[in-house]
Amino acid sequence: MPKPTNITFFSINMKNVLQWNPPEGLHGIELTYTVQYFIYGQKKWLSKSECRQINRTYCDLSTETSDYEHQYYAKVKAIWEANCSEWAETERFYPLLETQIGPPEVALAASEKSISIVLTAPEKWKRNPEDPTVSMQQIYSSLNYNISVYNTKSKRMWSQFVTNHTLVLSWLEPNTLYCVTVESFVPGLPGHTQPSQQCVSTLKDQTSTLKVK
Amino acid sequence: SLGFRRCLISVDMRHLERSFQEIKRTLQNKDVFQNVTILSTLQSLQGIKPIDVCCVTRNLLAFYMDKVLKDHQEPNPQIRRQISSIANSFLHTQKTLQQCEQRWCHCSQEATNATSIIQDNYDQLEVRAAAIKSLGELDIFLAWINKNHQETS
Repeated sequence: MPKPTNITFFSINMKNVLQWNPPEGLHGIELTYTVQYFIYGQKKWLSKSECRQINRTYCDLSTETSDYEHQYYAKVKAIWEANCSEWAETERFYPLLETQIGPPEVALAASEKSISIVLTAPEKWKRNPEDPTVSMQQIYSSLNYNISVYNTKSKRMWSQFVTNHTLVLSWLEPNTLYCVTVESFVPGLPGHTQPSQQCVSTLKDQTSTLKVK
Repeated sequence: SLGFRRCLISVDMRHLERSFQEIKRTLQNKDVFQNVTILSTLQSLQGIKPIDVCCVTRNLLAFYMDKVLKDHQEPNPQIRRQISSIANSFLHTQKTLQQCEQRWCHCSQEATNATSIIQDNYDQLEVRAAAIKSLGELDIFLAWINKNHQETS
């Protein structure tokens, strides 16, 4: 029986989900899967009860791999009736260097000729909502942001890298819709996730309305 | 360049990370002893005092340059090229470290213990296996440098 394929960790903000494809050539057959994981340097493979004989092709191992300074392996095998495949194993997974950083929260406030942007760093995955929040900034002091601003009227765009969390865009055109796209970025880490985008319109130019009266 | 509180070391982290990323999968797949680590103590070094960072950096650079890279025989030319690129970066960093005055590169007992544990871990494995494992754990060392050295320029 062939093994599952393409087994990898998909990690964003330390939410570490193991995912795989069904074995080739067995589409349409009702398979189940069992997952185990291993902490590099420890002694034995460990099971996760919620991922024993499951139908889905993913297993959330965030809790089991929450110490992001350790490294891990995971493996999965396919089961069909009395048959089961060999284990398919991941590469060594190092959350600290392999997680992707999600986009920050973006708050925009516009005046006639300026837009103020306030960024809030993304949060590390947490087991329970009531657990204390850890910002990804605390883990990656070199976290910075790539901000792109698009003037929907002139169709012009410009970008800049920033490390601080607040900035003001000045000398803008009044009464114009601007779209702001922000991506998180840590030098040395893999690519970044979907950026967050928001649009806001600058206010009408008050001085021109006064003239009309 | 990166500064560790008082001593500046010159190291191109992005270059090192890219070089290692190129060969990481091959090196780590050659390491068949998943239940053993060499640099594991680095993870327990999280509480290391800033004053010890220079000493641990210097000791670990020496560990890689004088032991690991000497013990490792790499048959694959592409991998050999990346390993020598990493070695050149480490050599450059060692040179900048040597300019650091001794009083700023002090070794506490804790720092000395940490690097001798790493040495002990290495000596418990057959030398080729130990060398390949240490190379496969370069990401732990690079992450430790990144975390303990502040980017100053």
